[in-house]
Amino acid sequence: MRSHALVLVLAFAALPACRQVAPLASEVVALKVAQLPSAPGDGAWNAASEYTAKLLLQDLVDPRLMKPSTQEVKVRALTNGTQLALRLSWLDSQVNDLPGPGRFLDGCAIQIPRALEANPPDPQMGQAGRTVDIAFWRADWQATMNGRKDEIRSIYPNAAVDHYPFEAKSLDPGSAAQREMASRYAPAQAVGNRRVGPREFPVEDMIAEGPGTLSPNPGGGSRGRGERTEGGWSVLIVRKAPEGWEPKIRTQIAFAVWEGSAKEAGGRKMRTGWVPLSMKETAP
Amino acid sequence: MARVYNWQIGREMSYWYPEHRPQKQFAAVFDTNKCIACQTCTLACKTTWTSGRGQEYMLWNNVESKPYGSYPLAWDLNLLKKLDGGKWNGSRYEGQTIFESAEAGERVLGWRPESQDYAYPNVGEDDCAGQVDAGAYMNSPHMAWFFYLARICNHCTHPACLASCPRGSIYKRPEDGIVLVDQSRCRGYQECVKACPYKKVFFNPMTGTSEKCIACYPKIEQGIQPQCFVNCIGKIRMAGFINKPESARPDNPIDYLVHIKKVALPLYPQFGLEPNVYYIPPIHVPTSFTRQMFGPGVDAAVKTYRNAKNDPDLAALLCLFGSSEMVMPQFRRQGDMVSGIDAQGNTVVRVPMNEPVHVRPAYDRLYQIQRTNCP
Repeated sequence: MRSHALVLVLAFAALPACRQVAPLASEVVALKVAQLPSAPGDGAWNAASEYTAKLLLQDLVDPRLMKPSTQEVKVRALTNGTQLALRLSWLDSQVNDLPGPGRFLDGCAIQIPRALEANPPDPQMGQAGRTVDIAFWRADWQATMNGRKDEIRSIYPNAAVDHYPFEAKSLDPGSAAQREMASRYAPAQAVGNRRVGPREFPVEDMIAEGPGTLSPNPGGGSRGRGERTEGGWSVLIVRKAPEGWEPKIRTQIAFAVWEGSAKEAGGRKMRTGWVPLSMKETAP
Repeated sequence: MARVYNWQIGREMSYWYPEHRPQKQFAAVFDTNKCIACQTCTLACKTTWTSGRGQEYMLWNNVESKPYGSYPLAWDLNLLKKLDGGKWNGSRYEGQTIFESAEAGERVLGWRPESQDYAYPNVGEDDCAGQVDAGAYMNSPHMAWFFYLARICNHCTHPACLASCPRGSIYKRPEDGIVLVDQSRCRGYQECVKACPYKKVFFNPMTGTSEKCIACYPKIEQGIQPQCFVNCIGKIRMAGFINKPESARPDNPIDYLVHIKKVALPLYPQFGLEPNVYYIPPIHVPTSFTRQMFGPGVDAAVKTYRNAKNDPDLAALLCLFGSSEMVMPQFRRQGDMVSGIDAQGNTVVRVPMNEPVHVRPAYDRLYQIQRTNCP
C-alpha cells in the first residue's frame, strides 16, 4: 500500500514534465527535400521528425530470439520523390564487425511492401505472392568499405597460413588461371553467392515472400553508410522510393536490428511490425 | 515435428521433417584399431577441398586422440553435458535425442563453438600434462590407454544441420544420401554449426557461408572412394552404401560389418541422427568408455573383432580395406582369397587373406656372404 502511494506521488510529479514533451510520432514521415544526405551525420537530418520504433523479439518462427537485446531504433526519413533515405540509430556499446565461427555481426534492415495496398502482407518477411523489398546493412561490410582488408589476418591477426595454392609462383597474379584456382576453394564465390565480397556498398538488396524465402535482389540499387556514434550505430540507407508513393498515399515500413554480441543472425533479431510511412512536402 | 524411425536407437523419434530415406545411403566403416593418426587423410582432404581463404582452420577430416583430444574443442563433452546422460534399455535408447530435447525457440539442442575452439587441432593431445618423475607411470582418471578417432561428416540419415537451417540451404541427395550445403543459398547464419553435434559444418568468414565435407561426391559418382579413404596409410577405411537392417545384404561390406556381424557401430547414436560412418571400436579401451561413445553394442563388437581370426568371412572383409580406390558394394570370399566387386559386377581387386611369407636366410650361399639389414 505504501509503495502504491509512492508511485502515485511520483506519477503526479511527472505530469507537468510530460505535458511539455512533444507527442511521439505515430508514423515515419519522410520529408521531401531536393537533395538527399550522403552520411548519417549530415545536418539535413535535423529537419526530419524522429520516430522511435520499439523493437520486439522475433519469437514467431523457429529459430526464434528468446532474450531481448536492442530495445528501440530511432528513425528519420527524407525523400526526393524518387529515392527514400532513412537513418536508423540505436544504442550498442560493443562493435561487432568481425565475422568468424561463433562471431556475429551488428546490422539493421528496412522492409517495405512491393505493392501499395491497404492491407500489407505479413510483416514477417511478407507472404507467398506478396513480395516485400528489404535493404540490409551490416557492420562487417561497412568495415571492408572503410578499408579493412578482406583477408584472414584482418580477422585473426595471428593466423598462421602456410600457403594458398592459388598463390603458387606458377600462376600469374590476377590471371584467369589464378582466379580459376582460387574459385575452387571458394565454392560460394564460384556459384555467385552475393554474400561473398568485394562489394560496392555495405547494403544488400533482397526480396522475400515469407520466412525462409529471402533472396538477393541485385538490381535494387540501395546504398548506405554506417557510422559509430557515441554508444551506438547510426546507419544511412538510401533506396528507391516505393512505386506510386506520393504525399497523399501512405505505405508501410518495418525495421530490424541484429546485435552481434547477442549472437543474432537471420531470424534471430529484434524487429518491428509494420509502421506507417508517409511523405510530407517541405513547407514553401 | 514429424515422427521418424531411427534403427540405431531402436525406436521412433521426433524430427523436423518426415522420414525420407535416399535411394542409396553413402556409408563408411573406420577401423579405429588400425589408425596411427598419421593425418594423411586430413592432409588429403585439406589439399583437395579446404586450402582457400577462410578455410585455414577448417578440417573436414580430422583425427583426434581420445579420450582427451577433440576438434573443435570439447565438441563431444559439451553436448553430452547438455544431454545430461541418456539411458539405454538394451538396444533401445530411452533418453532424449537432440531433437527431442531442443529448447524453446530452437529446432535442435546444440551449442556454438567459439573461434578459438578450432585453433589448436591436435596440439598437446598426446603430451604429458605434468612433471614425469623417474619411475612414474601414467596416472590419470583413465588407465594408460588412448585411441585415435578419425572423423568426417557422418552424412546422417536425420541430419541436425539440415533440420536447423531456416532457409532450407542444406539438402540430402536422393541418389546417395550425401548431405550438402547449397553454396548459392547459404547466408551464413551458423545455425547448422550450432546444431551439428559432431561439429562437422564449418563457417567460412571469407565467403560468409558454411561449408562441410562433401564425401568427395564427384568421386563417388564415378564409383571411386573419397580422398581421405584412398590416401589412408593404415587402410582403416572402407566406403560403400548401407541398407536398412531389414534389407541388409550379406555380400555388402557395410551391411555385413554393421548389420550382420555388428562389429561396426555408429558414433554417439544417442544423439539421434543415425550417422552413417561406423566405427570398429578400439579393443584395448575399457568398454565403460566406448559404450557411451558407440552405444550398447560395444562389448559384443569387441568380442567379434577379437575372434575375427576364427571367422573367415569377417577376416576376409577386413583384408579388403584399403585394397582398391574403387567403391566395392559387394565382396566375395573364395578360400583364402577375397574379391571386391564394383557396382557393375566387375571384380576390381583380389586380395589374399594370408600374404605369402618368404624367409630369407641370413647367409647368402650364392655370394657366400652374411646379409645385413639396411637401416
